[in-house]
Amino acid sequence: MEILQQLTFLERGIIAGLIIGFICPLVGAFLLVRRITIISEALSHITLTGITAGVFLSQAVIWLNFVNPLYTGFLFSLAGSLLVEKLRQIYRHFQELAVPIILSSGIGLSAVLISLAQSSYNEWYSYLFGSIVTVTLNDLFFIMFTGLAALLILGAFYKELLSISFDQEFAETTGISVNRLNFFFAVLVALVISMSMKVVGILLVGAMVTLPVAASIQIAKSFKQVIILGIIFGETAMIAGIALSYYLNIATGGVIVVAGVVILIITNLVKRLTQAGTAAS
Amino acid sequence: MIQVFFQYDFLTYSLYTGLMIGFMAPFLGVFLVVRRLSLISDALSHITLSGIAFSLLLGRYYPFFAGLNPLYMGMAFSVGGALFIERLRNVYRYYKELAIPVIMSAGIGAGVVFISLADGFNNDLFNYLFGSVIAIRQSDFQLIGILTIVVSIMIILFYKEWFFLSFDEDQAVVSGIPKRVLHTLFIVMVALVIAASMRVVGILLVSSLMTLPVAAAIRWARGFRQMFVYAVIFGEISVVTGLVSAFHLDVAPGGMIVMVNILILLISLALTKGKQG
Repeated sequence: MEILQQLTFLERGIIAGLIIGFICPLVGAFLLVRRITIISEALSHITLTGITAGVFLSQAVIWLNFVNPLYTGFLFSLAGSLLVEKLRQIYRHFQELAVPIILSSGIGLSAVLISLAQSSYNEWYSYLFGSIVTVTLNDLFFIMFTGLAALLILGAFYKELLSISFDQEFAETTGISVNRLNFFFAVLVALVISMSMKVVGILLVGAMVTLPVAASIQIAKSFKQVIILGIIFGETAMIAGIALSYYLNIATGGVIVVAGVVILIITNLVKRLTQAGTAAS
Repeated sequence: MIQVFFQYDFLTYSLYTGLMIGFMAPFLGVFLVVRRLSLISDALSHITLSGIAFSLLLGRYYPFFAGLNPLYMGMAFSVGGALFIERLRNVYRYYKELAIPVIMSAGIGAGVVFISLADGFNNDLFNYLFGSVIAIRQSDFQLIGILTIVVSIMIILFYKEWFFLSFDEDQAVVSGIPKRVLHTLFIVMVALVIAASMRVVGILLVSSLMTLPVAAAIRWARGFRQMFVYAVIFGEISVVTGLVSAFHLDVAPGGMIVMVNILILLISLALTKGKQG
């Protein structure tokens, strides 16, 4: 713990970034095979509502001013992930409507709350677009703790999650409780989103979850490879993004995402070239 | 309450612009929802942000772009993104749904970088993100007016074809409807409407004006035609009450418009409980 306290603000940011670069693609791989990567966008937007609500409450109600907005963000994100499931049942014929509804309401409510909470716009920009220099020691603890929790959940249920992701009906017949696992999965995604938010920014968390696995699935030959390559791509994007944003003085989240896009383009080119090669031989 | 909107020019402009958007967005939204493409509007709105940011960045270095309305560049990016999504769907043949989050992330990521480079992290950006009652200028009003006329003409011309395509694509193709052309035309219009709505509603909230009124309308409508009527009525109610209340409460209009929409949606869900949507 004492080592952690001696870290400079930049080191804190880099450590936080590395943890996020590891866990986001890990969860992203499961989202990808379950075809619900878009859910990360919806949850990140609802996390913004939680954050704005946290900031607003801490301003409006004095005895609440100790509340770290990250915690309210996590609570909202969790509620949102459960609500998406509920909405899917209501709109049985238009299930894909659930995500845009949650996404819009999340961002709409936060727009109102931002206007009401009279903070400076600059504070919001660091939540929206991420910034490694604002990672405090408390935030780092939050990120480490949630990262650990996410790893534990994933480790404990890896096999069950895998089986559900690839063949839900088969998983059910083998006696896996789908509802319970889906709940844990929702908790997992909510954890990952709220932990990544501080570094990458709310609007870009979805990118961190999607882009590395979208790149790795192009060249990976198995699910394990998707995960491993995804993590490598995620960390590369993270490091490149942090370094470039520091030297060029650009918002961190933006550069991380652009690095992710570049990796995606390269893998697509590699795939195309190797395919052309095998076709020619 | 509403009289003040007719006293000042800029408020009148934003009210009329809002009314036009409140008509166009839910109308096209019905087609989007029925064709299960509602998420595309989110992706396109995010890519519009990068267009606007790019225009602001260019404006810093080239005086020509400084005078140009950023809306044009936003529209160009939005249309480009719409066409690119179709391409990406072919690249990821087994994971077609990946195209939208990829475009969304790329759009907002590039947007943030452009904004950083242009030093644009200021109040202006907030207006782009969440909308503004007072940001509508006469040139915006005229541009959106022309767009409304074009979209209306398109709808009158191709209503039957789109209707057919939305419900039975195979049958429509067999009976000789040029699916590709019509689909591209439709997506381009969606892209244009999204870019146009951005000033009033804000980039992050445009898509909600395309999906939420329709989501409420689905609960009430007994037919496809009724769905349009309900969606447009809900859209207009939300725009007008949203704009007026946002002006009086001094909050972002985009947020208020979405809140009204959500209220309508919640009421609709409560009143039509038990019905299968």
